[in-house]
Amino acid sequence: MAQAIAKSDYSGGTTKHAPAVKQTFEVFTRPTAKTGLVGWLTTVDHKKIGMMYGGFAIMFFLIGGLEALLIRTQLIVPNNRFISAQLYNELFTMHGTTMIFLAVMPLNAAFFNLLIPLQIGARDVAFPRLNTFSLWAWVVGAFMLNVGWLSHFVPAWSGFGGAPDVGWFGYAPLTSKVFTPDLSTDMWVLGLQILGLSSIVASLNFIVTIINMRAPGLTMMRLPVFTWMALVTSFLLVLALPAIAIALVEVMFDRNFGTNFFEVSGGGQPILWQHLFWVFGHPEVYILILPPMGYVSEILPTFSRKPLFGYPIVVFSGVAIGFIGFGVWSHHMFTTGMGTIATAAFSLATMAIAVPTGVKIFNWIGTLWGGRIMTRVPMMFALGFIWMFMLGGFSGIMHSAAPADAQQQDSYFVIAHFHYVLIGGATFALLAAIHFWFPKFFGRMVPEFWGKLSFWLIFIGFNCTFFPMHFLGLNGMPRRTWTYDANMGWNEGNLFATCGAYLLGVGIFTYFAVLVWSFFKGQKCGNDPWDARTLEWSIPSPPPEYNFAAIPTVHARDPWWYEKHHKEEIAKERAEHMKAEESHGGIHMPDQSWYPLISCTGLLIGAYNFAQLKHPVMMFGKEVLSSHFPLAVAGGAILVLGCYLWSLEGPGGYHLHLDEKGNATESRGGHH
Amino acid sequence: MSAHAATAPAAGHHEPSKFHYFVALAMVLAVVTGVEVVLVYLPLAKWFVVSTLCILSAFKFLCVIFIFMHLRWDKVFCTILFFIGLVLAGGTMWALLHLFGADAAKPLSSVAGVLLF
Amino acid sequence: MSSQAATGAIDHHHDHTTSTGIPNKKLLWWAFLASDCMFFGSLISTHLVYRLNPPPGNAVPTQVFNIELTSFSTFILLMSSLLMALAVNSIQRGNIKSTRNMLLGTMFFGCIFLGGQVYEFAHFVHIKKMTLSNSIFGSTFYTLTGTHGTHVAIGVLLLGMMYVRTFKPTHGNGLIKNFLHLLAVCVVMGVSFIWVVPGLIEVIYGTPFLEFVRHAAIPLSVGAVAFASVIWYSRVAGAVEFGEKNAGDVEAIGLYWHFVDIVWIIIFTAVYLLEYL
Repeated sequence: MAQAIAKSDYSGGTTKHAPAVKQTFEVFTRPTAKTGLVGWLTTVDHKKIGMMYGGFAIMFFLIGGLEALLIRTQLIVPNNRFISAQLYNELFTMHGTTMIFLAVMPLNAAFFNLLIPLQIGARDVAFPRLNTFSLWAWVVGAFMLNVGWLSHFVPAWSGFGGAPDVGWFGYAPLTSKVFTPDLSTDMWVLGLQILGLSSIVASLNFIVTIINMRAPGLTMMRLPVFTWMALVTSFLLVLALPAIAIALVEVMFDRNFGTNFFEVSGGGQPILWQHLFWVFGHPEVYILILPPMGYVSEILPTFSRKPLFGYPIVVFSGVAIGFIGFGVWSHHMFTTGMGTIATAAFSLATMAIAVPTGVKIFNWIGTLWGGRIMTRVPMMFALGFIWMFMLGGFSGIMHSAAPADAQQQDSYFVIAHFHYVLIGGATFALLAAIHFWFPKFFGRMVPEFWGKLSFWLIFIGFNCTFFPMHFLGLNGMPRRTWTYDANMGWNEGNLFATCGAYLLGVGIFTYFAVLVWSFFKGQKCGNDPWDARTLEWSIPSPPPEYNFAAIPTVHARDPWWYEKHHKEEIAKERAEHMKAEESHGGIHMPDQSWYPLISCTGLLIGAYNFAQLKHPVMMFGKEVLSSHFPLAVAGGAILVLGCYLWSLEGPGGYHLHLDEKGNATESRGGHH
Repeated sequence: MSAHAATAPAAGHHEPSKFHYFVALAMVLAVVTGVEVVLVYLPLAKWFVVSTLCILSAFKFLCVIFIFMHLRWDKVFCTILFFIGLVLAGGTMWALLHLFGADAAKPLSSVAGVLLF
Repeated sequence: MSSQAATGAIDHHHDHTTSTGIPNKKLLWWAFLASDCMFFGSLISTHLVYRLNPPPGNAVPTQVFNIELTSFSTFILLMSSLLMALAVNSIQRGNIKSTRNMLLGTMFFGCIFLGGQVYEFAHFVHIKKMTLSNSIFGSTFYTLTGTHGTHVAIGVLLLGMMYVRTFKPTHGNGLIKNFLHLLAVCVVMGVSFIWVVPGLIEVIYGTPFLEFVRHAAIPLSVGAVAFASVIWYSRVAGAVEFGEKNAGDVEAIGLYWHFVDIVWIIIFTAVYLLEYL
């Protein structure tokens, strides 16, 4: 695999390198390796970063799926003792946390990284090193969340008390030291904080990139819908994550410094956690679904052979969903006794959000209407998305009526709802997107038959698993319960759902196995196998290091479609742009750097030890230090040092010069 | 205040220095702060004092962002960007205060609360 | 990315390499500040929510606060904002010497503010017996103002880094010198806000001056050495690679510093002043 990547254009394998020279303030010269371990660890190339996000995300998606299968196996028959109740709690907590923070979000991040610069006609993001930092910080967060699993296998780590087991939403006071004395909650708190940091930094980067680095002629209302949704999602992330950051700080202080934020005996109120969490938590679900809506808005027009119906209103609805989404959080708390006025207000606001969502669905249908539909694999997943997401929306609107929600809250009905929107919605769109853009980034096609087979297995398996849960919930089966008695009337539903889950598992396995095969043996393709509409399809597959030989000038929405139909005009412009850029010193590319990685190493050491602040450091059964504090400080020092040296290093950069055949030579020095 | 030399050799290339503008504003802000502190001790109606404090704070806030932070002279998008965050934060705070101030949210044991609702 | 032709005047209000004309760094910082609004908004909300229905046994703020000191701190932070704005003004006109002085002034006032906070916290804990854990007011107050204080401290560090950056030599590596210079600046700032300023406030409130000197003898001497180093490092040996083209970076730090000031304006009103009604 490494060889295949190394040989591809992707990693600049054929370019001649210009070695770096130490500049003022540098400790070591900039790394220049484009391949190998160093190349990947120090890269600032958005395409490589996107690949790494995607790789990690898929790995965790499969782990999360395994966690789900274990849960479903435990529930296949009543009074089952397949796993212990404690392990069950860890599994449903980690299944939720993994799928949300370690699968869907980084998969979206992967697409943001891979596509945004290409769709706006840029060579990279606004702050390449910051982009690398986001990636490695994410890895640190993923580690922190999952390290607790080790305590099941390694006795020395038993103090961790297993993986986090307080639910993915960690309600107080269950998270207090009194009820969860072991380290699992502390790791959960810090893991989420670091993931939040990674997301905020990445989102700031994308906001600046999308707003400030568009190609000439690319006005905001000519942006691809995916890029618009990415912009709105980035805004949601930077505005929603601070609320959970504060909530997590308060939990951590309660656990470690004796504060009373959620401690009733000291005057605190646990309900505050719920409010702060859901102020983040609700925008979070829009963060999960808006990018998938973006993918679908790109795929439907391509395979209907028509432009998107009602582009301005689709964009505006996306923005509206994002911002109304900040005003509905207490619909997760209808049964907590907030009072009539509050409950009614949030109920109405929640119903209001259905409007822009419905508008988008109508526009997607309008796109299909009268088009020449091509039922390729991405299209099938996209069509599945529309239908399944609608079903999830129906159960959602049922929740919005507070009196009805009083029955549905904490039951399997809720599980049915959010799995319809998250699997039927987000995951289907992601699977569509992976199929759709796979040829672009790997230069190979995925075989139609196997792709379609995996679609049907997934579609049927998914519906078999989750449709019965609507009825299980309305018939009273509560969430997050380890087992159930045989006389509740839930037996058939659970058995059916578990069988569906196994089928879904087979479908997912087929899907990814086919992708792996296609990476090595798939039919090679050119730059535009789908006859698509946006700029990423105008460059070779896989894209070269520098993305565009000439930064395009955009004349209309669906810029690549315009280019294909105005070939002469574009060819002339291209030649002019290439000459102009070469006369300015060549194509300017950002330099790689060690510091994002070094800073994140410090972050890892600091956070891992800070979580265990009040515990002594044990090695081989003997106490070495009375507290983890000095180690946490050491980690912090490495983080600060890394950031300090990073700031002194400066952006650096080198130039590429292209010849007629597209081969590039590097040069350094000269003025940047 | 200190030796600020507005005698840059390329004086013709730069716009007029905002030095005096900034110093004057700082003096105004200092006076407003003093007024706020005195106001608290005056025997006036509570609603009046609260409103005035809020207005004076808002005034200081807006002066710093538009003048010290330069929003007045920058592209309007920067203002929009910041106000999105500000309005959202203010709105969330308002909602939380109403949620916790409602009768249904009163804890079983509490003393009379500070002003507000 | 930053290919500025060095001919002609620099327009500090328009960057022609970006789609909007706003420099990338400036846009980044404003977006970050919008995010920070939500961050402080949540903290202030937590504090105010717990003031609505205080539990029995809670600390009584008016008996704990020292409003004259806090008002003085507010004034100090406002003045530091002035100096920051003047620093940006200076570098936009290419006056490096004035920029350095203004940066130092901003840091100095920032440390006075921090020192006031250190004194205040120590006083509240030791004399007024209000701690993080013995009342809900303590929990929310220290977390909120502590987070703000941490932001100020980070700001002082960033300003220190900016100050030292203005000495970057055009030739030679200069890294060790930069590091030691920054270390000296940090030691001076640290000593001043942890020992000097709180100590002097104690002196103002009646502690004999000699007792303060005795008490803080070691930090004072370390600080004096560091101070001497700062003076020594500030002798400029040759050409520096810093000028009007770096105004954007100074402006960016200025945005952060002013933001920290406006958050304090809100905290002062909502946390301190409103309690007196």
